[in-house]
Amino acid sequence: MHCSVTLEGEELWLMAEKAVYWPSRRCLLIADVHFGKASAYRSLGQPVPQGTTTENVQRLDRLLSALPCEQVIFLGDFLHGPGSHASGTLSALRSWRERNCGLSMTLIRGNHDKRAGDPPADLRIAVVAEPLLMGPFALQHEPDAHPSHHVLAGHVHPVYRLRGKGRQSLRLPCFQLGLRISLLPAFGAFTGGYAVEQDDGQQIFVIGDQAVWPVR
Amino acid sequence: MEESLQSVSHRMAKPFDFAKHWFAAKGWKPFAFQKEVWAAVKQGQSGLLHASTGAGKTYALWFAALNRFAVTRPPATGKRKAQAEPLTVLWITPMRALAADTARALEAPLTALQIPWSVGLRTGDTSSSERARQTRRQPTALVTTPESLTLMLARADSETSLAHLRMVIVDEWHELIGNKRGVQLQLALARLRRWHPELMVWGISATLGNQSHALDVLVPQGGGINVRGQTAKELKVDTLLPPTAERFPWAGHIGLKMLPHVVAEVDSSSSCLVFTNTRAQSEMWYQALLEARPDWAGLIALHHGSLSRETRDWVERALKEGQLKAVVCTSSLDLGVDFLPVERVLQIGSAKGVARLMQRAGRSGHAPGRPSRVTLVPTHSLELVEAAAAQDAIAQRRIEARESPYKPLDVLVQHLVSMALGGGFIPDALLAEVRSAWAYRDLTEADWAWALGFVRHGGLSLTAYPDYRRVEPDEHGVWRVPDARLARRHRMSVGTIVSDASIQLKFWSKGGGGKHLGSVEEGFIARLKPGDGFLFAGRLLELVRVENMTAYVRRSTAKKAAVPRWNGGRMPLSNELAHAVVERFDAAAHGHYDGPEMQAVQPLLQTQLRWSGLPTRDHLLAEALKSREGWHLFLYPFAGRQVHLGLASLLAWRVSQQQPVTFSIAVNDYGLELLSATEVNWPVLLNEVLLSPTDLLTDVVASLNAGELALRRFREIARIAGLVFAGYPGAPKSTRQVQASSGLFFEVFKQYDPQNLLLTQAGEEVLRDELDIRRLEQTLRHLAELKLDLHMIERPTPLAFPLLVERMRESMSSEKLSERIARMVRDLEKVADNRKR
Repeated sequence: MHCSVTLEGEELWLMAEKAVYWPSRRCLLIADVHFGKASAYRSLGQPVPQGTTTENVQRLDRLLSALPCEQVIFLGDFLHGPGSHASGTLSALRSWRERNCGLSMTLIRGNHDKRAGDPPADLRIAVVAEPLLMGPFALQHEPDAHPSHHVLAGHVHPVYRLRGKGRQSLRLPCFQLGLRISLLPAFGAFTGGYAVEQDDGQQIFVIGDQAVWPVR
Repeated sequence: MEESLQSVSHRMAKPFDFAKHWFAAKGWKPFAFQKEVWAAVKQGQSGLLHASTGAGKTYALWFAALNRFAVTRPPATGKRKAQAEPLTVLWITPMRALAADTARALEAPLTALQIPWSVGLRTGDTSSSERARQTRRQPTALVTTPESLTLMLARADSETSLAHLRMVIVDEWHELIGNKRGVQLQLALARLRRWHPELMVWGISATLGNQSHALDVLVPQGGGINVRGQTAKELKVDTLLPPTAERFPWAGHIGLKMLPHVVAEVDSSSSCLVFTNTRAQSEMWYQALLEARPDWAGLIALHHGSLSRETRDWVERALKEGQLKAVVCTSSLDLGVDFLPVERVLQIGSAKGVARLMQRAGRSGHAPGRPSRVTLVPTHSLELVEAAAAQDAIAQRRIEARESPYKPLDVLVQHLVSMALGGGFIPDALLAEVRSAWAYRDLTEADWAWALGFVRHGGLSLTAYPDYRRVEPDEHGVWRVPDARLARRHRMSVGTIVSDASIQLKFWSKGGGGKHLGSVEEGFIARLKPGDGFLFAGRLLELVRVENMTAYVRRSTAKKAAVPRWNGGRMPLSNELAHAVVERFDAAAHGHYDGPEMQAVQPLLQTQLRWSGLPTRDHLLAEALKSREGWHLFLYPFAGRQVHLGLASLLAWRVSQQQPVTFSIAVNDYGLELLSATEVNWPVLLNEVLLSPTDLLTDVVASLNAGELALRRFREIARIAGLVFAGYPGAPKSTRQVQASSGLFFEVFKQYDPQNLLLTQAGEEVLRDELDIRRLEQTLRHLAELKLDLHMIERPTPLAFPLLVERMRESMSSEKLSERIARMVRDLEKVADNRKR
């Protein structure tokens, strides 16, 4: 399930899998996967169960099989840290890349990528510095304003606290669309969140139960 | 005295009655309990000394040790300082703050008695140079904390450095027995006993409701003796009454309404302690007192655990010297050396327990011939009832029991790593040792195998966690920590006190290095913007900037200021006190309003009776209300907030099995509230079946999975077991790449390794501590004997109101997530539409 929105005259699909699909460019935008985060923790003596990489890859596959995709652009933090080049993580990524060998892939370097180092060459991911200008958008990792383009960024891992009657509330990952800067939720299965508020001129779309919900 | 000591010094190397000489020289007469302890230690016995606050406890144990182990030696004449005797006595204290004072007290008689002993201090505050010096030249007696003791045991040379240990004294044992710090100490003692089977272990404890248990846990091998100290001195308890109960708030906990009366009481006493229950409350009260009496600047002070050591030391010193008229404080001054000048104690809000109230009262009236006096200051109307009840309970000496935790696996996991660092361990030998600690006496082979597997592989199965290894057996089968980096990290994290990431507060100065003020939780600072004002250390401050885990501030002149909230634990009302409260309500229901407190609260209780009913010994009061927020149920079992939380979760779960519904849950010490946005027909649903103890455990476990409670508990467990690393102080930001919240860990474990025992422990601890399943079951059985008294109310009653405004809430849901989101989004739309119109 997705929610279609128009931003700067372009149609964008906000996907419940925590990604943005741009139909006219046949392009999938993914922010903050943090591949290898769990293995980085384990190598430092913190036990984290296995399965997060598999879950990330499966969700990517689900998106790619459902959408006519020609390219994937990662908005930073593809790998989590120097300890993320673990053999298990990388071999999972390689076999995923082989299954999707026809796709063009680009990574806009984020703060974690700078420390982690670029992904191995055999993954064939082009690595560029932000911003990557594409149509009306400046694709970035950090949500810094761009002088001429609307910024699509990650980094923040936005979540929104939805409140309702009877003093109920739910904390959910979200998209935050603004006038000049819009944020994507973190894609990674082992990532936390940072609570954002809904200011004037901003639209929040929360993700829950395999659906995207606009919040007025 | 001089002469006798001269003659003594010639009889070197013989046991000598130092106690007799010292007491005679001081003109003191030993108490019977002191002689009893001295005699027992002479026989090599272990034991527990129960004594209320007051002098004599320290010397009861210290002279017992001196008499048994020390010999005199004339002062050395050569240039080289004589070597002191090797480390013989460990003195464990629960608070760093107490350590220095204790060391001074222990040192006092040594020189005069020509005892060649030295006294050292080793706590988290001890500098590394001082620790290195202690390693080269050991003190004969070392004053230390449970955490520092564990760290000593985690050194490879620990067995050698503790080779001459003969006696361990645990001060304030009542503060340790009921928590995981106490368990950590139990494990350390088990290790020391393995090296020294004859080791004497003594505890000093305030009076507890279960004294024999306190002894069993400390001396689990048996043979320890209980020694009772002198009987408590006279204790006066009274209540500061509001002028008119009608105008007095129905809820709240700050209590500033009573400010003028408190000012008058402080004014009329020479020196007093004003106890509050939270740090935030102490900040507000201090500020309010100063605003009311600007002339008290410099005469009153503030003391709580987040202030800098320097500030706290100054306050304690000034208090001892009688320079202060009042100190507003938290439990930070519950323990510690006696402040002789303190004439009386004021307690703002409920003290929550009889033992705690007595302990606080005991901080006053140390001057000879003066009674201890505590004055209760209610913060809302119902606390008047509680004040009357507290007096009843104290008069009847109904004191709470404290029990050791049972088999906490997180502490065990931490201990395994410590022992692997402390020279390595062989599993079979260590298992026997661990089982000799009371808390682990029933540790099963399966628990043990899991704990070993956890430190080795991170999980039970061999392949569960690639890249992970914390402890590994070497080629001789000795388990060690192979990675020096992990060893250092572990040493940083030893301990069982869990706090949120804290951020240091410093005054801003251009060159850097302004005065250190203390610490606040990171989450609080994160919500502030530079320029925002807040109250800390009794000052109005303004945030300048945040860098490297330090918040720089300057004085502010702003009118509006936030007050930091520290997420300290909330004490539940003790069973003993709750019973006493119900007795008072019962009396009121029968028209008896005895004493000034009950007379003051009479109009309010009559309102309660008119709108609804009063809880009694044989009625369970319940109230149902329909408001703009939704459908409310209020229930008043008076079983303490923990049991209420369990009971609320249970009821919510059982109802949610009959209809899809989401509840918001609030609890306090008197009762619970279930609130739903959709209709629940309480008169039909609330019955014996809903409150039945049948299938209790199954239902509670199920309710846990549906709620958020286990996650809260997991936070503490994750930190102790080393899952979440609090970070190195002052470390650069890059270490944050391996910091994740325990909430995230919890979700990942739940999804990818649901069998993980730390999750199980989180669940079990919620059952036992948070929810207290045994008390829950007892409560349900008790409730089954009561007659249900349900009232449909039209407006919140005096009893319901505090629950209605309670902001800390849990939730429980059987609705589909999509339905909940859809409903909330719809509600938002309605609000937005109304605004447009």
